[in-house]
Amino acid sequence: MSDVASPAAAQGGASPTFLRDARGLQRKLVEEYYGRLAPSEKPHPPVAYMLVGGNLTEIVRAFGYDVVFPEIVALNCAIKHQSLENILHAESLGYGLDVCGYVKNDLGLQDLGGTTSFGQIPRPDLLVCSFSGCYIYVKWWEALAESYGAPLFMFDVPYMREEAPRKEDIDYLVSQLWEFVHLLEKRTGRTFDMDELKRVLAESRRAEDGWVEFLRAGRFRPSPIEAYFESIFYMFPINVLRGTPEAADFYGVVNEEVRARVKEGNYPLPEEKYRVLVEGVPPYTNYRTFWDFFRKWGAVSVVATYPKVGGLFDRGFRHDPARPFESIAEYSLGAYVNQSWPLRRQIIADYVKEYQVDAAVIHGIKSCRSFTAGQGDLRDWLIHERGLPTLYIESDHQDPRYFAPAQIKNRMDAFFESLEQRRAVAAAPGVAPA
Amino acid sequence: MPQLLQIRPESDGVAAGETGPRIEISSDFREFLQADSVEQLVRLTQEVLADPTYPTVRAWRKTGGKAVGCFPVYTPQELVHSFGMLPVAMHGGGENLEISRADAALGSFLCSISKSTLEMALTGLLDPFDAFVFPYICDVSRNLEGIFSRVLPQRASHMLHLPQNFTSPATIPFLVAEYRRLIEKLERVAGDRFSQENLRASLEVFNEQRALVDRLASLKRDAPWKVSLVEYYLLLRLGGLLPREVHIPLLRRALTELEARQQRNKDAIRVIVIGPFCEQPTLELLQLVEDVGCYVVGEELQMLHRWCPRIEPGADPLESLATSYVRTPVDIGVRSTPTTKGAAILSRVDDSKAQGVVFLTAKFCEPALEDVVLYRKALDRRGLPYLHMEFEEKSTTYEQARLQLETFVESILFD
Repeated sequence: MSDVASPAAAQGGASPTFLRDARGLQRKLVEEYYGRLAPSEKPHPPVAYMLVGGNLTEIVRAFGYDVVFPEIVALNCAIKHQSLENILHAESLGYGLDVCGYVKNDLGLQDLGGTTSFGQIPRPDLLVCSFSGCYIYVKWWEALAESYGAPLFMFDVPYMREEAPRKEDIDYLVSQLWEFVHLLEKRTGRTFDMDELKRVLAESRRAEDGWVEFLRAGRFRPSPIEAYFESIFYMFPINVLRGTPEAADFYGVVNEEVRARVKEGNYPLPEEKYRVLVEGVPPYTNYRTFWDFFRKWGAVSVVATYPKVGGLFDRGFRHDPARPFESIAEYSLGAYVNQSWPLRRQIIADYVKEYQVDAAVIHGIKSCRSFTAGQGDLRDWLIHERGLPTLYIESDHQDPRYFAPAQIKNRMDAFFESLEQRRAVAAAPGVAPA
Repeated sequence: MPQLLQIRPESDGVAAGETGPRIEISSDFREFLQADSVEQLVRLTQEVLADPTYPTVRAWRKTGGKAVGCFPVYTPQELVHSFGMLPVAMHGGGENLEISRADAALGSFLCSISKSTLEMALTGLLDPFDAFVFPYICDVSRNLEGIFSRVLPQRASHMLHLPQNFTSPATIPFLVAEYRRLIEKLERVAGDRFSQENLRASLEVFNEQRALVDRLASLKRDAPWKVSLVEYYLLLRLGGLLPREVHIPLLRRALTELEARQQRNKDAIRVIVIGPFCEQPTLELLQLVEDVGCYVVGEELQMLHRWCPRIEPGADPLESLATSYVRTPVDIGVRSTPTTKGAAILSRVDDSKAQGVVFLTAKFCEPALEDVVLYRKALDRRGLPYLHMEFEEKSTTYEQARLQLETFVESILFD
C-alpha cells in the first residue's frame, strides 16, 4: 500500500498533501516488515499465518514467531494493481468467479511462488485460523492446510449477539488459548513465558491507546483526519505490528501530526462540506479513484467501520497485561464483522451522533458476504429509521473487474448533488428546516 | 415408473404476498395419510412446495400449534420438537417466487435461498411461523438472522453459533451452553420450560425418522432404479415439513412400496451429487440428472435429516445432542475438516460405487465452491470424472444443463 497516497500516484484529483511524516513512517514500517520476512542466509524465525479478525498475534510473538497476514498481503497486491494476475491464476486452478477475492488473490499468489513487488512471502510453519466474523476464513485455511501441509490450529470465536460476552464464551476461548499455548510449546520447544506475553500485551495496549486517539480526532469540526482512506493506511501497525514497540511509537508520531494539523489548519480538504460515515471494505484496486469521488464534493469521512475489523478499540476494549488470557479472549470477540447486525446498527447509530455525521456511504463488495450481506437493509434502516441520507454502491475490494468507475461516480455525484440541493432548500429564506 | 413432473410451472412466477394459498391441508394431515401410493404422495408434496404459504404449517396451526422455521443445516430440530412445537425446514421460496424487495436489502451477490427467504419474510409469507433459527453455516445465514430481527421484530429469531474447533475438550460444553441460549428463546416462544425428559423422547422420534431416511438412502444407493431422485428428494423434503409423527409412518409405508417395486435396472452411470447441502436445486434439474442417463447413488440433499447418525439420549440428552454435532463423521462443506477433504470425497465415491461426481453448487455458495477445488484434486489423482454445474432457485431453461450432463455421461460411457 505504500504508493497510494504519494503525489506521484495521484490520479484525477488533488493529492492529499495533508499527509506528512506519519505516512512516510508507515511506508518505512511496511518495507521493514516485508524485508524481515524475505529469505536470508541467517536462520529465520518460524512463520505463523494468521487472520486479522480475532488474531492471536501477542501469543505467537511471545513464542518468537513472525506473523504473516494473507489478507494484508492480498490487499497490498490489490492496491499495487497486482491482484488480477493472482485471481486469474486461482480461477485457472478451479476457484470460481464467486469465491472471495482475498482467497483467490492469496491462493493464486501462493501457487505462483509467493513473489510480490514488495517482498517474498514465506511459507507457513503454522496456520492459525481465528474463526472470528468470517466463515470463509475456515475454507481458506483448509485450502492452505492442504497445500502446505502445515499444522492448523482452529481458534473458534463465538459470534457476538449481545453487547457483552457471556461467561461461557470467555471460558471456551480461554480454554482454547491454553491449548494453543501447549501446541506452541510443543512446536517450538520453548516454555511459555507469561512475563513475555504481558510485556507484549503492554505494547499492544500502548498502540491501542494511540490508535484510538487518532480515530477520535474525527470528532473535531472540521476533522483533521480522513477516517476512512487515511485510517486504512494506519491499520497496518495496529493489525500487523501490534505488540511491538514500533507499532506503539508509530501512533505517537501520527497523533503529533494530527495535533499539528489542527494548529496549522492543515485539514484533509480546504472545506469540509459533508461529514461522512463510510461502512464497508474499500475497493483497493481503485483506492485513489474512489477517494477522489469523495474529495470532489468536499466530503470527508469522519468515522468508518472498516478500520475496526481488527478490533473495536474505540468502543473501549484494551488488551490488559493484568488479565492476559481473558483480555485476549475478549479481543477476539471484538472484530467488527463478528458483531451481529443489531450490534452493528447500534455502533453505527452511536457513530452518527458522536461524530456529527451528515451522510453515510456504504460500499458493498462482491467478495465479502460477511461484511456485505444486509448492507442494503442497513441503508433502509439509516434512511427510514434514522433519517440519514445514505448511499449504497457495490464493487469489489480485490478484483478490478468489478469496479465500474463511471457508474460509481455517477451514483456518488447524484447523491452529493441531492445533498447539496437539500442544503440549498433548507437554507433558503422562509423554508423551515426538514 | 411414472413421469412426475411438469417441466414448466403453471405460471411464470408468483409475486410473493400477492396470491393467497393454493391448497389447504387438514389439521390431521389426512390428505397425506390417505395417499395410497408413493406417486400420490409425491404429487401432493409437489403441490405443497408450489404453494409459498406453507400449507402444512398452516394446517399445524389450526389446532393451536406453534412452528419454528429452521434454516439449513444443523438446526437442532429435536430441541424445537421437545417443546411441542413444529420444526419446519426452510428451503427458500423455490422457483415460483418473484423476488422484488429482498434484492435491495441483501445486495447483488448472494445466493437465492437467502433472498427468497427474506422476500417471504418481507411479504408476509412467513406469518405462520412463531420463531426462526439460523445456524452459523455461512456468513449469509448468520447475517440473515440479524435482518430478520429487524424486519420481523415481533417474532423471535436466533443465530446459533456452531463451533468449528472439533478437538478442544471445551467445545461440547460450549455447544451445550449455545443450545441453552437457544432454549431461553424457545421457552419464551413456547411459554413452557425445557424438559430433559421431553428432549429424550424427541431424540427418539428423530432417531426413528433418521433410520427410515437412512433406509431410503440405502435403497437409492443399492437399487437406484427402484426410486427416482425426484421421488427420493420429495419424500425427504416432506420430512422437514410435516409433524415427524406423521412423516414416519408415511415414509415407512413408502419404503415398503418402493422396496417391492419391480423396475428394470437401466444401463445408467452411477454418480454422486455434491454441493446442494443448503439451497436446493429445482425438481426439473434433479430430474434432468437422471433423465440423461445417471443414477444418483449418493448426494447432499436434505442434509437436515442426515448430518449425524443415531443420537443416544444418554443421561444428559442436551450433551448428547451437542456431542452428535461435534463428533459426527458426516463431512459437508459447512464444517471445518482441514486436510481430509480429498479422503472424504474418495470414500464417498467408493462407498456408493460411483463412476463419477456431479458438483451441483448453488450460485454464490462460497463454502461449496471452495470445496469443489479440493475435491477435484483428489478426483484427478484417482482419474475419476466429474462435472461442475451451478444452479439457482429460479431456473427457467435447462438446455445448457442438459447438454453438459449429456456430454458428461457420454464421456464416461465411451471412455
